[in-house]
Amino acid sequence: MEAAIVFLPLAAAILAGFFSRFLGGDRFANLVTCSFVVLAAVLSWITFFRVGFGGEGAEHTIRLFRWVASGDFVFDWALRIDTLTAVMLIVVTTVSALVHVYSIGYMSHDPAKPRFMAYLSLFTFMMLMLVTADNLVQMFFGWEGVGLASYLLIGFWYHKPSANAAAMKAFLVNRVGDFGYGLGIFGCFVVFGSVELDQIFAAVPDAAGTTISFLGGEFDAITAICLLLFMGAMGKSAQLGLHTWLPDAMEGPTPVSALIHAATMVTAGVFLVCRMSPIFEYSDTALTVVTFVGASTAFFAATVGLTQNDIKRVIAYSTCSQLGYMFFAAGVSAYPAAMFHLTTHAFFKALLFLGAGSVIHAMSDEQDMRKMGGIAKHIKFTYAMMWIGSLSLAGIGIPGVAGFAGFHSKDVILESAWGAHSGIGNYAFWLGLVAAFMTAFYSWRLLLMTFHGPARADEKTMAHIHESPPVMTVPLAILAVGAVIAGVALAPWFTGHHMADFWRDSILILEEHKALENAHHAPMWVKIAPLVFGLAGIAVAYWVYGRGLERGRAAGQFLGPFYQFSLNKWYFDELYDFLFVRPAFRIGKLFWKKGDGRVIDGFGPDGVASTAGRAAKAISLLQTGYVYHYAFAMLIGVVLLVSFYLLFGH
Amino acid sequence: MSELPIMGPALPEIFLAIAVMGLMMVGVFVKPDRALPLVSALAIAVLLVAGALIAAGGGGYQLAFGDLFVVDRFAVFMKLLVIAGSVLAIIMSEGFIRREGMDRFEYPVLICLATLGMLMMVSANDLIALYIGLELQSLSLYVTASLQRDRLRSTEAGLKYFVLGALSSGMLLYGASLIYGFGGTTEFGALAAHFGELESVPVGVITGIVFLVAGLAFKVSAVPFHMWTPDVYEGAPTPVTAFFAVAPKIAAMALLLRVMMGPFGGMVGEWFQIIWFVSAASMVLGAFAAIPQTNIKRLMAYSSIGHVGYALIGLAAGTEEGVTGILIYMAIYLVMNVGTFACILSMKVKGRMVEQISDLAGLAKTKPAMAAALLIFMFSMAGIPPMAGFFGKLYVFRAAINAELYTLAVIGALASVVSAFYYLRIVKVMYFDEPAEAFDPVETRGLKAIIGVAGVIVLAFIFYPSLLADNAAVAAVSLLQG
Amino acid sequence: MAIATLCFYVFAAILVACGAMVITARNPVHSVLFLILAFFNAAGLFVLIGAEFLAMILVVVYVGAVAVLFLFVVMMLDINFRDMRKGAKRYAGVGAAIGIVLLAEILLVVGTWQLDPGLSGAGAAPTPAIADMHNTRALGNLIYTEYVYLFQGAGMVLLVAMMGAIVLTLRQREGVKRQRIADQVARSSKDEVRKVNVSSGSGI
Repeated sequence: MEAAIVFLPLAAAILAGFFSRFLGGDRFANLVTCSFVVLAAVLSWITFFRVGFGGEGAEHTIRLFRWVASGDFVFDWALRIDTLTAVMLIVVTTVSALVHVYSIGYMSHDPAKPRFMAYLSLFTFMMLMLVTADNLVQMFFGWEGVGLASYLLIGFWYHKPSANAAAMKAFLVNRVGDFGYGLGIFGCFVVFGSVELDQIFAAVPDAAGTTISFLGGEFDAITAICLLLFMGAMGKSAQLGLHTWLPDAMEGPTPVSALIHAATMVTAGVFLVCRMSPIFEYSDTALTVVTFVGASTAFFAATVGLTQNDIKRVIAYSTCSQLGYMFFAAGVSAYPAAMFHLTTHAFFKALLFLGAGSVIHAMSDEQDMRKMGGIAKHIKFTYAMMWIGSLSLAGIGIPGVAGFAGFHSKDVILESAWGAHSGIGNYAFWLGLVAAFMTAFYSWRLLLMTFHGPARADEKTMAHIHESPPVMTVPLAILAVGAVIAGVALAPWFTGHHMADFWRDSILILEEHKALENAHHAPMWVKIAPLVFGLAGIAVAYWVYGRGLERGRAAGQFLGPFYQFSLNKWYFDELYDFLFVRPAFRIGKLFWKKGDGRVIDGFGPDGVASTAGRAAKAISLLQTGYVYHYAFAMLIGVVLLVSFYLLFGH
Repeated sequence: MSELPIMGPALPEIFLAIAVMGLMMVGVFVKPDRALPLVSALAIAVLLVAGALIAAGGGGYQLAFGDLFVVDRFAVFMKLLVIAGSVLAIIMSEGFIRREGMDRFEYPVLICLATLGMLMMVSANDLIALYIGLELQSLSLYVTASLQRDRLRSTEAGLKYFVLGALSSGMLLYGASLIYGFGGTTEFGALAAHFGELESVPVGVITGIVFLVAGLAFKVSAVPFHMWTPDVYEGAPTPVTAFFAVAPKIAAMALLLRVMMGPFGGMVGEWFQIIWFVSAASMVLGAFAAIPQTNIKRLMAYSSIGHVGYALIGLAAGTEEGVTGILIYMAIYLVMNVGTFACILSMKVKGRMVEQISDLAGLAKTKPAMAAALLIFMFSMAGIPPMAGFFGKLYVFRAAINAELYTLAVIGALASVVSAFYYLRIVKVMYFDEPAEAFDPVETRGLKAIIGVAGVIVLAFIFYPSLLADNAAVAAVSLLQG
Repeated sequence: MAIATLCFYVFAAILVACGAMVITARNPVHSVLFLILAFFNAAGLFVLIGAEFLAMILVVVYVGAVAVLFLFVVMMLDINFRDMRKGAKRYAGVGAAIGIVLLAEILLVVGTWQLDPGLSGAGAAPTPAIADMHNTRALGNLIYTEYVYLFQGAGMVLLVAMMGAIVLTLRQREGVKRQRIADQVARSSKDEVRKVNVSSGSGI
């Protein structure tokens, strides 16, 4: 059954990608991809209940076949099914299935629907491969596979230069992280002698304290491996420093943003850290770094989100910020909290993205919020959905009772950060609180700018505004249900009293890391603070944007450099452009023009070719047509040969 | 006084000699307008019968005519190739000679006589027998080259070939006389025995070999004795060029192999430098000089020079493997060349022959089948797998590597890269250039069949390489063991 | 013996001198005449080694037929030999250099020559004494038995040469009136003679 979950999307991708033109075109592609992925989602839920609530022994590994057997280097294609995997399975397949269905409506005007659906299914397969991996190499396969699918989907509208550039940027920035991930795998093999997760985890306690020497320095082996793996996670999850690709990735179609760049692929980094918790637990240094990066990202992305005007970019920075939350949760050893937020985030962020997609769809592909406004009454359903998503994102709820999904997961993360009782934990806690304020602010800024106030679009666009068809609204409704109840329903199992029964061995938390335990005993002010900050953010947003954009503009002018700093995303792109891109171009040009053009081509193909041409002309000049020249040539040949023997023969 | 010499093994040659005279009679006494078709058909029949006799004679080692004449599996293999080349040449020429002012029954007769000379060359077991065969062949070829006697190019080609051929014959005779002087006999077996006893090879013998090789290298058109080839190939009537490119090359190569591996087989170390030099020079010149050519016949001349260079690699190796390689190479060379020339013979616009490479422009659009066939032949000539030509090169290169002739193998590989340029240029012209004037339909069924069959063989060789390779290996063994 | 030696050197010297004159004489007719003289001297050399048959053949065939044919051809062709020489002079230097190198090499090679006493080939078998068997018969014995293959082969070569000459030169010229004897003989008066009544004063 688990194998079917993984391979149904692959079958769908192959059928839709290669055969739909023979088997019925768009309708066939839609039908086969949606039905297969929905089926995979149903099977995933069954698996989730079996494994998550099945108690001891429900987890298992399915070995498909041997992949590599080279000396000691042996591993299989295998599917590792435990609670962690099961959680990821439902997240991935559910969101994927809804996005597939949604795409039927959203992409209905696109001429290349089968290609789009095939890419989506391919992505789903790769993502499932990643989360079910039994060894690091197979995970790397899925890791690169989702990178590929992401590249293909960001650049889906390949006729747009900006889409191509964004696709390449995503791919290249991810390469940096993948490089670290690859080194991490090598390190695992060096230190533990295996890339299979079980064997690595079994060997970790003994390997604690060993060192790797590299370039004359001695490094703690486990810390080094953890940091290298985390580098991969940073790339995939767009953490501070390697985050630049994510906002640009919004060039892809909106369902792609919802599926890949909000709900699933970008969370692969969080999943990786949780999956590798048995290693991370043994390196406090690495955990500190994870916390630091996560908290910084949460804060940084939130500040940038405050000022963006593109509706999708706001949500993209919000995603970046929320991923930061998940990382610092993992960093304080609250892996279940990270996974909890990952799950709830998948629902409400996919909801927000698809809702934004619905808005964009309604506004004739307009994405700039400054040109929206006043459309709430035209698309009431979408408006409602966006409200639910925003409430969930801002973490609104009644402490101690219940709230939207984001409320539960975000609170437990912040409480864990506080509960770590460490300097870095406090750093994360306070930055997280500030980020929560800003999250609420930009969420309501988005709502207000998009739906309220006077209509700023031209009349033609306004005349076209319409509610999306059911094929798009039904997935929104389902996600909205998730965004509302996921927190209440899952909290006891993910982070509450049944936590140990639920996660069992899939996550390891050492005895001395008590952040999550402490979180349950946090004082009242810690529990209330996030809600207060969130409500404050909403209030400020109403004050600024409640009546149009004038106050916002004034605030921007008042804040001057701070505003510009945020608007320009802390100048990361410019910095990278200066540090890496332009030097790389210069070096590239040097190698191209001088190295390749002059040296290699000059002495190589071009030079040889022109020499050959000249030689050919010279030789054909020998062919004069005069018999006595020919006779001379023969005689000279004979004389040369005889001379050779007389001189060198003996 | 003396008993009659043994003649049995030479039955095919005797039959051919007598039949040729009969053909001449037929040609003279039949009405002039019917003479050519009739004699052509009879000549083909006669050659086929001779071929059947050769095949029926089997391959046991036999001597005849007082050890002047030898038959072995090697001879049978080469003779069958020669006969095949000759028969195909007559078939291919059918339409051309009727049109182009060489409507004379002597043409097939001369081809038969040349074939007789070649058979004698292949079976020569004596320096004099070698020379007689060579002259019989050469003289017939000189005449056929200038058979289009009203065309200046043709007569010029014949004359050049004749004059330079006389020079080469002189060199060959001079070499033979030196060898006779130092060896005391002209019979191959006795020479081999004599040289086998010597501790060191006298420089006179080596000089003799140089001259002998010079004479034979002229016939296979190896550098630097190749100078006649482009002019003669271009000037001679196209069917004659097709014939030149195939049968005489094979016969001369057979002769070269028999001489070098027979009487001088024991001193490969002394003479392989000659062949090395000739082979390397041929490959390089064949590769480079063909590049600026615009006339396809001239291009084929340089191509054949290059091919001879590749084949000679096998001789430079001087091993059984090398000889096998040459035999395979020559057989494949025959098929590729016959196919290509059949295509060239079909290059006809409004009843007029054209020979420029540019005339092939856009052939893929006007005559896709012919373009595809020519594409196959060009790829094969360039040695691109999976065409047969690749395997020909593979066998000789492997022999060179095993004989530790690395430099030669590398030169060969590089030369084949350069030569790929002009073969592929033809493909480019056919497939990517704007169509020139379309060719007339392929003239005769014979041409069509030759193009088709040759194409299939070149393509299908990869599936049955052992068919040829095994026979070639047996032939090579018989040559080396005597 | 002394006379034979003297004759050898005289014949040989004249032969070489004539050979040189053949290619250096300005007048081509002189060249051919020197060639004929060279043939005679070669025949003399043949006689000296007891090959009288070859000597006579040389005189009869080469002097009597081939050289005379040459003479006719040279006299009938209108070739300006001076112009032909012009080009040759340009290459005289290179040609001479190659010639000298080749000559030196051949001298070196021939210097190493020695007849292996153990050889059993024809080189060791001298011409039979004239008393035992005359030359023509000895040649015939060899040619028709041991070397019949070569003899027949040479015959084929000559056949090709003849055919070649005919093919390349024989032309049926249009518009040339030829005597056809068979036609003449076959004619009869019945076919050709007609009786016509001519009325007087009108003509035919």
